[in-house]
Amino acid sequence: MRRSTGRTLTGYAFIAPWMVALAFFIGYPFLASLYFSACEYPPMMGPLFVGAENYVELARDDVFRQSMLVTITFAVVAIPLGVLLALTLAVMLNSRIRGQSVYRVIYYLPHLVPSVAVAILWMWMFNPNFGILNVVLRPFGTAAAWLLRPFAALDPGLPGWAALAAVVAAFAAWRWLKRRSEDIRAPEAGGLRSAALVAGIVFAAMLVVAAAAWTGPDDIKKLPSPGWLTDANPFPSKLSVAPSWALWALIYMSMWGVGQMAVIYLAKLQDVPVELYEAADLDGANWWQKTRHVTLPMISPVILFNVVMGIIGAFQVFTEPYIMTGGGPEDKTRFVAMYIYDQAFQYQRLGYASAVAWVLFLVIVALTMLALRISRERVYYAAR
Amino acid sequence: MATADRPLEWYKAAPLHGILLGGAVFFVLPLVWMVATSLKPLDQTMRVPDSVGEALLGTGHRAVIDGREYEVTLERPLAPSPPSGDEPYWIVRPSEELLAGEMTHPFGPEVWRKYPIFNAEELRKMETRIGPEMKLLADRSNPFDEAAGVLRLRSGRKVKAELVRRVAPAAAGDDLWLVREWRPSDTDAKEIGSTAGDLTRAWAVLPESEIRSVVREIPQNYPAALRRVHFGRSLVNTLFLCLMTVCGAVVSSVVVAYGFAFIEFRGRNLLFGATLATMMIPFPIVMVPMYLLYRELGWVGSFKPLWVWSWFGSAFFIFLLRQFFLGLPKDLLDAARIDGCSELEILWHVVVPLSKPVIAMVALFQFLGTWKDFMGPLIYLGNRSQFTLSLSLQSFSSEHGGTPWHLLMAASTVFSLPLIVLFFFTVRTFIRSVAMTGMKG
Repeated sequence: MRRSTGRTLTGYAFIAPWMVALAFFIGYPFLASLYFSACEYPPMMGPLFVGAENYVELARDDVFRQSMLVTITFAVVAIPLGVLLALTLAVMLNSRIRGQSVYRVIYYLPHLVPSVAVAILWMWMFNPNFGILNVVLRPFGTAAAWLLRPFAALDPGLPGWAALAAVVAAFAAWRWLKRRSEDIRAPEAGGLRSAALVAGIVFAAMLVVAAAAWTGPDDIKKLPSPGWLTDANPFPSKLSVAPSWALWALIYMSMWGVGQMAVIYLAKLQDVPVELYEAADLDGANWWQKTRHVTLPMISPVILFNVVMGIIGAFQVFTEPYIMTGGGPEDKTRFVAMYIYDQAFQYQRLGYASAVAWVLFLVIVALTMLALRISRERVYYAAR
Repeated sequence: MATADRPLEWYKAAPLHGILLGGAVFFVLPLVWMVATSLKPLDQTMRVPDSVGEALLGTGHRAVIDGREYEVTLERPLAPSPPSGDEPYWIVRPSEELLAGEMTHPFGPEVWRKYPIFNAEELRKMETRIGPEMKLLADRSNPFDEAAGVLRLRSGRKVKAELVRRVAPAAAGDDLWLVREWRPSDTDAKEIGSTAGDLTRAWAVLPESEIRSVVREIPQNYPAALRRVHFGRSLVNTLFLCLMTVCGAVVSSVVVAYGFAFIEFRGRNLLFGATLATMMIPFPIVMVPMYLLYRELGWVGSFKPLWVWSWFGSAFFIFLLRQFFLGLPKDLLDAARIDGCSELEILWHVVVPLSKPVIAMVALFQFLGTWKDFMGPLIYLGNRSQFTLSLSLQSFSSEHGGTPWHLLMAASTVFSLPLIVLFFFTVRTFIRSVAMTGMKG
């Protein structure tokens, strides 16, 4: 008993610094911000309790609603895109290919550039007149605009229905081919395979035409040199909840940092036991089946982890919009972390800022729970 | 699929390499563009590059003006198609004072229509005096009578002038350009736009064949950029913060992680769970009360809010170190304990020597974090002399609304370079540490 007490004391002595941090740098501010969120906090004075007033004001605050919308839109578009891109890169790198370590270094490099430098660099990249992005895009965009302009004038109804029919037909054809999958690989089914390929290309072309007709001439006119950070219009313009061009620019930029995630996935992929693939080979599984039924389940915990961190990260995006757009154009890139900063340190509304922060926190918790719930049956934990 | 000795067949590898190389271009292009822009003169950032060479290199021009060689900027082409020999340009030196507005078009009508800098109205209002010590460009709308030595102005006034040179293109297709002396101070943002009206600079009208393209000497933008972002001072501040936070994070996290890993005590698992949970708390939540706390302590406006916390441990590092410690052979620790070592001695003599790689990893992470941090310094530092590199770069960029891109890119390059160099020296530690980040899953 004495020994155990002694151990406990030693233990607490070792973690004492962290207890202080837990109390003063995390616990206290966490609870204090809950209290401040129910207070008016005029400069040079202490907090005055006002109850739910801040939250009532929040409910009517259009800029807050806009910032929440921007943040959630960013999260909904950028996180799945980032995960998909990182996974694709990692799976490709994990095939027995030469120069893996060189690619890995290249993909990781952007993560080393400090975020202020990243923001300034991409402001220059996105410069509508002289930025490299538009300089490179201009010929392609001009060509695409020239090709698509005739379709843009079409009534979206007809090509829209045609595209829908095309999708349905493609799906049906795919099901049908799959049912006959024993035959489809045979040499005599070559004609069938070519027909399927042609049909796929035709469907894809119809989809592009329908998309062009649906987005209309305004979007197509912008293709050669979009205004990026200065353009508040949604893209595609028919869809008012779609991200604005400015937000697309930030999403595009965030894809630049995706290499770090790819390196994490790659490390996990290399931990997947070779026996699993050998067993799959014996069962005659093809590349896609191995990826779908071996690789993805084995690394699903890391994917979930990255999605959760991505959600938390999206709600803390600050440096890039602060430097690149200052929240504009028309608040279309006013991320919620930036709104909190502005309320707290530009307008000295510390209580109101705390209320925004708490709403933000609850949304994060809710979204994380949602992610965990959705993933419950899809994430495979080995050896647990 | 998984690592095997046999490389992929070439027809499978080729498309993969294609896609991966395409991806590599996407990842590297911004960095290349950053460095390329940092080497260019200002005027070159303000036009769409004609060729890959021009996009990537800082090219300048040299030409001989009045017997001396100058580095020049090409202001504009005077004659989009060469005028016939009987429509020459004259460079003259007036012997009386006149106003710039008295000339119809100082640079010729068709040039004026094509490259309008001032419209006629603005020009008329221009009060720039052109004294006898300056040269002027005369063309057929302000013709110069060579025989009489008289320049006829728009107003009809005739001014006596001395011919310096008569200019005509040597051959068809050899365009005439107005060139102007380039000075190294042009890389400073202050000078933007002021060269056009600066008649004290050496200028000339030259056929294209007499202008030589040269690759600009590389470092010209860098001294200007570093001076503008107060680089020396900011670097010292940043390094100070890096030193304090790296030492703090390593020392405190190692000690705390040792406590969590090797000493059994009541409430340990609960506290460790709480530690993990704190990683989920977003910074904006604690931002305001932390600020108030530091303000109460009188620390706002000093470096203390940016490093003191690190000496109390940080959740992620504690977690990382604890996981590593748990993998160490327990026998070694028990042996040391039997030899009568205290816990601190075990930590110092047994655990730390075995954990060097993971400690290096923690140091690296913290160094990166502090070097890149922007929001912390933005909130707590107010005084220019305290600015870190992040803050200096941001304030330089916001002061100028991002016009001097060549300087901003030079400063950004210098700001990123130490991390990239560090990365190449420690690739192994780096990649391993990134892989470990995913461990929590």
